[in-house]
Amino acid sequence: MTAVDFEPGFVFSHLGPLGQGLARTLAISAVGTAGALAVGGLLGAASALRIPVVRQVIGAYVEVFRNTPLLVQIFFLYFALPEAGVKLSAFTVGWLSLVLWGGAYNAENFRAGFEAVDPKYVEACRALGFSELASFRRVVLPLGTRTALPSVTNTLISVFKNSSFMIAIGYPELTDTAVDIVSVTFRAFEVFIAIGVVYLGLVWIFSLGAGLIERRFAIPGGH
Amino acid sequence: MMPLWVGPVARYMATGLVTTLALAVVSIAVSVVLGTLLGALLVLPSRAVRLAVRCYVEIWRGLPIIVTLFFIFFVLPVIGLRFDTFVAAAIGLCLWGSANVAEVVRGAVQSVPRGQADAAAALGFPWRQRMRYVVFPQAVRRAVPPLVGLVVNLTQQTSLATVIGVLDLLQASQRSIERLTLSSGATHAVPILGAVLVVYFVICLPLTSLSRRLERSLQRA
Repeated sequence: MTAVDFEPGFVFSHLGPLGQGLARTLAISAVGTAGALAVGGLLGAASALRIPVVRQVIGAYVEVFRNTPLLVQIFFLYFALPEAGVKLSAFTVGWLSLVLWGGAYNAENFRAGFEAVDPKYVEACRALGFSELASFRRVVLPLGTRTALPSVTNTLISVFKNSSFMIAIGYPELTDTAVDIVSVTFRAFEVFIAIGVVYLGLVWIFSLGAGLIERRFAIPGGH
Repeated sequence: MMPLWVGPVARYMATGLVTTLALAVVSIAVSVVLGTLLGALLVLPSRAVRLAVRCYVEIWRGLPIIVTLFFIFFVLPVIGLRFDTFVAAAIGLCLWGSANVAEVVRGAVQSVPRGQADAAAALGFPWRQRMRYVVFPQAVRRAVPPLVGLVVNLTQQTSLATVIGVLDLLQASQRSIERLTLSSGATHAVPILGAVLVVYFVICLPLTSLSRRLERSLQRA
């Protein structure tokens, strides 16, 4: 068996394209994360407030996006929508698919958090003359958000990891760039270990950050 | 009357679906068995064992599955191992799946109140019997709802095998769209990819609601 020649220095000669790939990964992840947070928070609140019809529509959206693979959703947006007259760029599909997917998971995370707030609190608010919306905004929202926080940050970290799915539509993010380099140079070890370290490093930093935020906002005296 | 292209495309996609299901069954079975073992190791008193398993779990859970799949796909031939794409995809999914199952199992065991094991210890049960008769049966009930959720997740993740060239449901649909484009100029991507979404939805929805029902009955108990 021939010895596998391993040259860690090789990666440094491709830092330029890999850096650009990472920048694109971070760009679609940032938009995806912000969007998933906004969509999830709004839809979660609307479901928890039990607004008729709206609640059922949101429920359908959540079920469809949670019960089909993200990759198929990406394919549908990129390959099928043009047939219906909607042509989106790879970048748009990149962030949009992450927003739709992460938004569905977060809508469920937030809804569960809001509904976990003891109804006695809301009853107390109503007895004190708060309107339904005011009691939601002043009591359910702050408490429920903190309960939902761990699952929400989990989903957001998945949004970051899943930005790698965009390789399937040729969007030159980090993974796509790496595979391109490997298919020309066959330096699989060096390149994949390098991007593996980058992904793992970022995931761990994000998890640490999420842990800090969770502890900072933990409900005092809560379980 | 169905258009003529539907029959052949549906048959081709059915063979893809068989591959998808086979990949899902293999990955789920191996992940659950291997993950349960690793999860059990994570609650052992030995520090060195815990550290080793923790590394495995953090690496394969933290990496995007696509990166793992490409790594296996490109690296195995380099070190002289020949694999077909199905095996490469199965290995990648099992690494990710087993790491996640291990974490679920550890979480379930550690969520059993300490007082339970303490009480068993006070009654004179040695460690193995405490685990077997007191902690384990309660942990299993807590582990089942997230495990069903993980089964749904793994089933969906099998679609990633497409990117390394496995002829699964998604790949079959993609090739059908390309062929129809070449032969007739019309892509029919909306009905074909729409059908793929429907198939996954029909498989996953019952499992998702089962997981939710189990979760709820656990909370009531």
